This record gives sequence, C-alpha cells and structure tokens, in this order.
Amino acid sequence: MNIDAARNTFFEEAQELLRQMEEILLAFEAQSSGEEAVNALFRAAHTIKGSAGLFGFEGVVGFTHVVESVLDRLRGGAIRCGEELTSLLLDSGDHIGTLLAAAAADAAPDDAALRRGRELTGRLASHLPPSAQTPLAAVNPPEPEAALAVSGGGPLGGVDTWHLSLRFGAEVLRMGMEPLAFIRYLTTLGDIVHLETLSEALPPIESFDPEACYLGFEIDLRSAASRQEIEAVFEFVRDDARIRIVPPHAKAGEYIDLIRSLPEEAVRVGEILIGAGALTRHELERALQAQAADAGGRRLGEILCDKGVVQAPVVEAALDKQKRSEEKRALEARSVKVPADKLDLLIDLVGELVIAGAGTQLLAGRTHRSELIESASQVARLVEEVRDAALRLRMVQIGEVFGRFPRVVRDVSRELGKDIELKLSGAETELDKSMVERLGDPLMHLLRNAMDHGLEPAAERLARGKPARGTVSLAARHESGSIVIEVRDDGRGLDRERILKKAVERGLVQESQSLEDGEVWRLILQPGFSTAETVTNLSGRGVGMDVVKSSIEALRGTLDIESRPGEGTCMRLTLPLTLAIIDGFLVGVGGAQFVLPLEMVVECIELPAGDGADGRDYLDLRGRVLPFLRLRELFEVPQPAPRRQNVVVVSHGGRQAGLAVDCLMGGCQTVIKPLGVLFEKLRGIAGSTILASGEVGLILDVPQLVQLATGREANRLGGAARQRALQS
Amino acid sequence: MHIEKTAAGCRLRIEGEMTVSSAADIRDEILAALPATSRDEVEVDLSGVSEIDTAGLQIMLQLKRRCGTRLRLVNHSPAVIEILDMSNLAAQFGDPLVIPSGECPPSQA
Repeated sequence: MNIDAARNTFFEEAQELLRQMEEILLAFEAQSSGEEAVNALFRAAHTIKGSAGLFGFEGVVGFTHVVESVLDRLRGGAIRCGEELTSLLLDSGDHIGTLLAAAAADAAPDDAALRRGRELTGRLASHLPPSAQTPLAAVNPPEPEAALAVSGGGPLGGVDTWHLSLRFGAEVLRMGMEPLAFIRYLTTLGDIVHLETLSEALPPIESFDPEACYLGFEIDLRSAASRQEIEAVFEFVRDDARIRIVPPHAKAGEYIDLIRSLPEEAVRVGEILIGAGALTRHELERALQAQAADAGGRRLGEILCDKGVVQAPVVEAALDKQKRSEEKRALEARSVKVPADKLDLLIDLVGELVIAGAGTQLLAGRTHRSELIESASQVARLVEEVRDAALRLRMVQIGEVFGRFPRVVRDVSRELGKDIELKLSGAETELDKSMVERLGDPLMHLLRNAMDHGLEPAAERLARGKPARGTVSLAARHESGSIVIEVRDDGRGLDRERILKKAVERGLVQESQSLEDGEVWRLILQPGFSTAETVTNLSGRGVGMDVVKSSIEALRGTLDIESRPGEGTCMRLTLPLTLAIIDGFLVGVGGAQFVLPLEMVVECIELPAGDGADGRDYLDLRGRVLPFLRLRELFEVPQPAPRRQNVVVVSHGGRQAGLAVDCLMGGCQTVIKPLGVLFEKLRGIAGSTILASGEVGLILDVPQLVQLATGREANRLGGAARQRALQS
Repeated sequence: MHIEKTAAGCRLRIEGEMTVSSAADIRDEILAALPATSRDEVEVDLSGVSEIDTAGLQIMLQLKRRCGTRLRLVNHSPAVIEILDMSNLAAQFGDPLVIPSGECPPSQA
C-alpha cells in the first residue's frame, strides 16, 4: 500500500470518526448518555490524534490532544458534560474537520482557522486542571509549512537545447540530397546555438570523391520541438546517415514523469521509451540492430545509454515501468476482478444449497432406497466441494494487512526514539476477505502497544543484556480450522504488580484475590485500563486494548496474552477462517437442537452416572478435572433429563470444558445466520441456522461457554481454598 | 573557372555553381593548377560563386588543406558567406569576410 492510499484512508476514517463524535454529542444534547458514549467519544478523538500523528499533521494532533484531554477528564468523571461543554466539543469537532481539510489539501490552515483554534483551545483549557494546559504555541504551530515546491525541474519556457550529431553517408550527395539543406530546415524548429562542421573524414584530395559526402555536423539546437519533430527533419536521409539526437538534460525528468504516467500496456522497454517520446522508432530500430549484432548480449537499455541516445535515469524509469507492467499483466492474467456483492450472493446461494442438500440426504435416507441414498450422498459430497471452493474465493492473503505496518513501525520508532525491527512472517496465510479488512485496526493497536509499552528504551535493553534493537514480530499461520496471528515483542513484559495495583485501585479485583497470570493479563483488556505512567501521542490512555478485544470478539475470535517479565509479551489472536459456513456438530437437549463448531469439539463421553449427580459441575476425565456446563440448566430446557446423558468436550484457547447434553446427533454443515437485534445479547448463543430437517438450530458460542465453565469452576475452587485457609 | 598564374603565385576565380554537379570538374582543375609540390600563394576569388553546397564546401576544405596558410579566399559571394556562416567554418579558413552592409547572413537573423 502506498502512502497516498494510506493517507486517503486516514482522511476517510477521520471524517467517519468526526461524524460519530457529532452523533454522540448530539445525543448528549437530547439526553444524558451513558459511560459507553463518553468512551466512544474519547476513542474517536484518540484515534484521529494517533493516526494524524503518523502522517505528521502536527496541527491536527496538537488541537485534538487538547480535546482528548478534556474528554479524558469527562470520562474519569472529573467534569460533567453540560450544555456549554457539549457545544464547545461540537465546535471543536468542526475545527478538527477544518484542520483535516487543510491537511488534505497540503495547505496550512488559514488565519481565520488559526484564530478559531486559539479561541477554542482557550475555552477547552478552562475545563482542564491548570497543570495540564498545553501551551498555546504547541497547539498552533506559528510557522505554516512552506508549500512544497513543484519538483521535476521542467524546462524553463519549454525551450531546451538539444544536441544533434549528424554523420551523413557518402552517397547522400549523389542521391540528390543536400546535408546543409537539412540544417537550414532545422532552423525552422529553433535556433542553432552552436554548430561544428567535422571535416576529419575528408580524404586527401587525390583520392577524394567530389561527389561523396564526408562531412559531419555537431549541432546544438535550442528548440521546444519534440524528439519526433526533430527526427522528422531528417526523415529522407535517415537511412543514409547516422543521426543521434541527445535530449536536453532537463528533458530526462520530463521523460521519467511521462514514462510513469503511461498506461501500463507496453511491456517492451523500447516501446515505453517511444511512448514517452524519449526515443524515436527509428532510433529503436537502430539500437535493436546493434543489439542483434552485439556478441556480448548487452541489454537494449545499455546500448541506448552507451550511444547517448537516452540518459540512464530515463532507461531506469522505463525498466521500472516495464517491471510493473509485467507484474500487473501477470496478475491480470491470473485473476478476475469480481464485485464483492456478487461473491457474497454466490456464498449465500451455496449456503442455501448446503442446507437443501442436507435435507435431500435426510429424506433419501428415510426411503431406504440404496440408489437414491448413494446419489444423494454423491450430490452432498459435490456440494461440500462447491462450498469449499466458493469460500476459497473470498480468501485473501493477510499480507494485504501486514503491508501497511513496516511504515508504521518506522515512523513510530522514529517518534519514540527507539530502534525497532519488524519481522513479518506468514503474510501468505489466507483468510476471509471481510476479516482481513476488520483486522487492520486491532493489529495496529497491538503493534503500537508493543512498540510503545513493550519495548524498553535502548539504554535499558543494553543494561539487561539484550540487543539495543528491539524486535516486534507479526506472524500468521493456520492452525486446525483457525488462523492464529501473533504480535510478539522482546520487551520488558507485562508488569504483574503494577497491573494488580491498578486493578485494585479501579476496583476491578479485590486485594485479597489470588489470580493466575493469565487472569492478571486479561485485566488489561478492561476499558480504560492503562498502567503507562506517561501518556504519549501513541498510547497510554487505556483505550485500545478493550477496543481490540471487542473487535476480535466481533470476528468470533479470541485474544490470549502471554508474557514473561524481561522477555517480552505475545498477543495471540485466534480467529475462525470464515464467518459464513462452519462444520457443525449437532446435539440435542430435550426438544431443542444446538450446533457446536466441529473444530472445537475434542471428544464425546458419556456422563458417568455418579458424576454430577450431586450437583458438581466437574468430572474426572482420565485423571484430569474437567469443568462442565449443563445445557439443560443453562438454557432452561423444560423437558426432564433422560437417564443417560453425554458430555461433549470442547476446547478453546487452550482450555477445555464439557457440555452436558441429552443426545449426540452427529456432524452437519451449518450456514451461520446472525441473530436478530433482539437476541444479540443472549449469553452462550453465537447465531442460528436452519437444520436439514427445516428446524431452527442455535449455534453455541463455545468460547463464551468455555470461559463460563472454567470461570465458575475457578471461582468455586478459589472460594473453597479461601474457606480452607480461613478454617486453618 | 579562371586560373591566372602570376609571379607571386596563382589566382583562381571560380564562376557559377560550386555544387555536386560541378564538383568533379572543379576538383580536376584545381589538381591541375596546383600540383602538390607547388609553394605558390593561392588567391581564390569567390565573387562569382552563385551557388554552393556541401560538395562545394568540401572542395574549399580540400583547398585549404592543400594550401594551408598560402590560401586566401577573397570576395566571398553571398552564397559563400551564407554557407561558411552556417557551417561555422569561417574561422577555420581565417579569411576576412566582407559582409555586405544592411544585410545579415540569414542564419544569424
């Protein structure tokens, strides 16, 4: 992705965020809104500031920082949002918009905007404690940046000095052509600044053929004419003369620009040069002949440069263009561009086909006619293949997202003054396109956190015996039906004590609570949680991790944190490959049917008669404690439990739990239909699907259930341990 | 072409065209008039040259080469002035040119 594209994305996103802020603020005016709205407001401002910082829009960063500080106090409850503040914030949002528009146009904000900025900053500052007030000078940069000079060095007045080198063949005079006439004609195109007649080729008069031409001319021609026009002067004589036209020096830049702007069609260097006017067709033919005659197998570009026909940078530009054209052509040849909605329609239809196919198979099974069953299963197998192929159509390489990070790392490392190396691996890993698009922001947050909080300053690293250069790595891989993305740094690791202290301060945990490392790490995913002692432009305000967590959860993924003090932190994202269709495992509880994603099912066991009979929610699985949930109780299924029950062991994020069900009904293909707005908040349910029988089945949210089971069990054990401790 | 031998040397007066069509004849006459061993001063009167082209220019260059500093070109006709000017060879011949008043060689316009 190039910088311009990223810049445009930034402006689009920023506009979107400003719109969001406005909406929220307008809602404030209508009625007082909840904490989440303030959080969202803060996040929007924070994101605008962070991204603007990456692109070096200091004006935007400075002003937004003040707005953000006010919002931070609002969020912390230090100030309340009254009518005055709301309208001030609305005005500030507008002002950010003005600053962005100026930045988008590469211009400095005009005087009116600067005045407005000072006025708003002053008003905003009145909502801040005196120490936090930012000096005005930092907010309104005094000197507008000079407009960028037009680069490229175009010729002044469009007139330039060409150099022509003419060597007429001996026969031209006899053929009735007069070399001097051509030169005379040349003066109609421009001024001959200098001309040198070369007579060295003249033989002694005795062997001199008076009807042969021995003269050569070196001419400096000041002319605005194009190469083609100049060459056209010599059209009749060019087969009998050596004509070399050296473009003016300034033309090189022009040619290079032209070459870059050419449509990417020509794939031959010569054609590209001709297209840009840097070479005439005749010159190309000559050069090609020379190339054919050349034993050394030199490339065309080298020959052209040696002959001085074309300057080396121009040839390089043409070669570059050629390479890109080839790449593009290769890509075009291998891929067909299809609008995403058509693809989505196909996936939808395939989904319906899967359901209908399953229905047919079920019906065929009931007829007990073997031919029908056989043909139905054949169809089912094909449908499965069609499904897989259709889903693969939506797969794109995650490298699309990774591509924008090297630049970010470079900029951030410069800003933080840390030497940071980014290692990318698994960029070719494929996943669903819609996921790729939604992964960019969470990954960006994680990466920034790793760089800002994870990596220590060079001096501290050296003191700990680590290389001064910090490493941040981004790795993607497939793992049993999921994609795993790891953001790893070799920094200081999470500080358990500090996180706990902060969590106790904020009342998230009790001081007496004993927590496992994993649980401590998960605390940083709480909204507004930050242990950073300094708030930087990049991070440290405690927004981010909760946003990351919620965006990952929206993708049905999970975020795991591993950290070792002094060695570094690893944030591991586990995401499903696709959002549309899963291989499901159908279970029944009473009259209800539930679908579990098959890849999360580890095994099925019978619920031992004794286990759980006494209301315990864990059982002994080959000597291991396995917490389990009774779906009957969880979903309040009215029918009584049968005599024999089964337990499906599911695993997610390295933890296992059991789900007690009545009966196991086997695998099925499942098209996920999202639940309606009403049911979105249902605990333990991820979606719904239409079963082969036509009934509705609910898809279980296994990650949530696993968390529920293990959490409940841990609480109970923790409680028991505390009780024991109290008793002793 | 008139060739006049004097005590001081040789005086040539070229008349008419000095072009590819007459170049061979002019060359032959010069060869005849100026043997390679000759140490005569040579004065060439160009006032009669009505037209001159590359071939004519080459003959003049040959003359210069053969006679070196013994060659003096005089009374350049406008056609000769034009071609010497255009080919930037006036300095190479080193002869004073009389530029007609009120008229500039076309290429310097």
